[in-house]
Amino acid sequence: MATEVAAGRIALAPSGPRAFAQPLSGHAGFGKRWRAMSAIGVRMMFHDRLKLLGTLFGVVFAVVLSNFQMGTFLSLLGKNVMFVEANTDIDLWVTPPGTRQFQGGKPLGDAVLNRARATRGVAWAEPLVLQTAQLQLPNGGREPVSLVGTRAPRFVGGPWNLVKGDSRSLEAPDAVIFEDAEREKLGGLNLGSVRELSGHKVQVAGFTWGLLPFAPAYAFAEQGLAREILKVPADQHTFVTVGLEPGADPLAVRDELQRLLPEVLVMTRQQYLGEIRHYIITGTQIGFSFGTSTLFGLIVGLVTVALSMFSSVVDNMRQFGTLKAIGATNFDLARLLFVQSLVYGVVGSLLGLGFVTWIAQVSRNPNLTVILPWWLLAITAGLMVVMCVVASGLALMRLRRLEPAMVFR
Amino acid sequence: MNAAIELKGITKTYGVGALSFQALKGIDLTVPQGEFMMLVGPSGSGKTTLLSLLGCVLTPTSGQASLFGERLDGRRERDLPRLRLSYIGFIFQGHNLLPALTAEENVAFPLLLRGYANAAAHQEARDVLAAVGLTDKFKSLPEDLSGGQRQRVSVARAVAGRPPLILADEPTASLDAESGLSVTTMLKKLSTERGHTVICVTHDNRIFHLADRTVFIEDGRIVPPPKRLDLSL
Repeated sequence: MATEVAAGRIALAPSGPRAFAQPLSGHAGFGKRWRAMSAIGVRMMFHDRLKLLGTLFGVVFAVVLSNFQMGTFLSLLGKNVMFVEANTDIDLWVTPPGTRQFQGGKPLGDAVLNRARATRGVAWAEPLVLQTAQLQLPNGGREPVSLVGTRAPRFVGGPWNLVKGDSRSLEAPDAVIFEDAEREKLGGLNLGSVRELSGHKVQVAGFTWGLLPFAPAYAFAEQGLAREILKVPADQHTFVTVGLEPGADPLAVRDELQRLLPEVLVMTRQQYLGEIRHYIITGTQIGFSFGTSTLFGLIVGLVTVALSMFSSVVDNMRQFGTLKAIGATNFDLARLLFVQSLVYGVVGSLLGLGFVTWIAQVSRNPNLTVILPWWLLAITAGLMVVMCVVASGLALMRLRRLEPAMVFR
Repeated sequence: MNAAIELKGITKTYGVGALSFQALKGIDLTVPQGEFMMLVGPSGSGKTTLLSLLGCVLTPTSGQASLFGERLDGRRERDLPRLRLSYIGFIFQGHNLLPALTAEENVAFPLLLRGYANAAAHQEARDVLAAVGLTDKFKSLPEDLSGGQRQRVSVARAVAGRPPLILADEPTASLDAESGLSVTTMLKKLSTERGHTVICVTHDNRIFHLADRTVFIEDGRIVPPPKRLDLSL
């Protein structure tokens, strides 16, 4: 004890009258309490590694499941809008009335095309033909393709993402461009291969990459050939596409065109994209199905963290009682749980995001690409952290009722 | 000499109505500063309730209680943690060390709540651990310590920062006779040197001789010492 006395830290009883210990006046302030409780919270988490791993697994599972579901949903959404989205040179789409997807309906007549061309602000208007055609396979079977008829020389709505050939290849007689990812499925197509498409002989003139909508893969032909194959008369069109003069207001031209053509639907590119997305989300089971599974993923995370933290509190009731007896307040314990939930949320989210990004990379193929935009990752991580903090509320409720007197029983 | 503890007509009743139970039935007790007092009584006698009241983890139903001149009766529950930090160091029956923390961190923790800087808290923790003979165990986790060593850490945690009152709940209960006597002797020595008032609840008659005074409690009341001590208390 001599060294302690010399250091002035512990006062020994003097040889004269005894010096009694006195009440301690100092108490930790806000910041010190945060640091002390945070340190304990993290140490407690990492001490019980099995529980830590179990809880993190729950968070990771929730993050992976919800991101994978949303990423797949975005991918499916992308497949449905890819044609409208990719053809940025089309400012206005004239479609059959009631159109909510990228598919044809009642054919549009030449009058619609001519009226569009004559409208002020319109630089050009081109017809587009789209229908399903059947490709005869060498083995005798058939495979459907979504045949797009695009008009030379502008080739509006023509092939993009070309890996072999170009749009001008379509000017060759009987030339059709197919999807590269479907080559095997379509009977081992090669450049120059000759096949029968809905009873018409065609020759492979090029390949696109990744143009796989929810419907059969896109194939492209010059419009004259496409009309022959699909047996669509020259005065009937699936869509009329419109390009505007520089400086023309798309909404004003759209309104004017709609006024002139009340029997059809005229939409800007953005409106059409929004319409398709809205229909997929609200008008089909896809939105509900993916939304539900995403929600379940998040709920699994919430429940896992809540139960894990609650069971951790129940298992360590004596430790928490000791903390209370020593002088920790309910707010101190709330700080401890908050930090723990924050660590669960942040670490679990980072691990989960890393894992789901890896899954998305390795599972990437033209048929299904899990789309994980930064905002989805950020929202999921943020939501998960918030949910972990909310989940800690269950444990806190139990701790608030904990009487420190239990440590004497 | 000022009193560390003054209790006058203290009662404590649990529950209400027909299911209520009176654990303390009018306790009068004065403990002078610096006293090493042992509190002895059979199970259900009320000694744990009394210890909880003195430890500011319970408030009395009626009566007057003061700790170093500060009144405890009528206190709101949210005031109690501050009182515990200011006045009391605890030694629990099962040592109650936090298993995730080293011996040094366990001792330093209450000091951090008392506002010590991190370095000062750890220095004080090491000093006190050295004083209880655990110089080589600063970084050991509780699971790596023997029962006696754990209880020494618990003693170090209680006396660190030099709170005026130490409450010990059966400190020898989980120890063999030799370790129990050793820990209590060390507690007695430290409290004498550092001027702590100690109240020690115990059944262990092998350590009774260390007390300045032994108080007996039975059926919620303080009673005179029995003529023949029943060791099965």
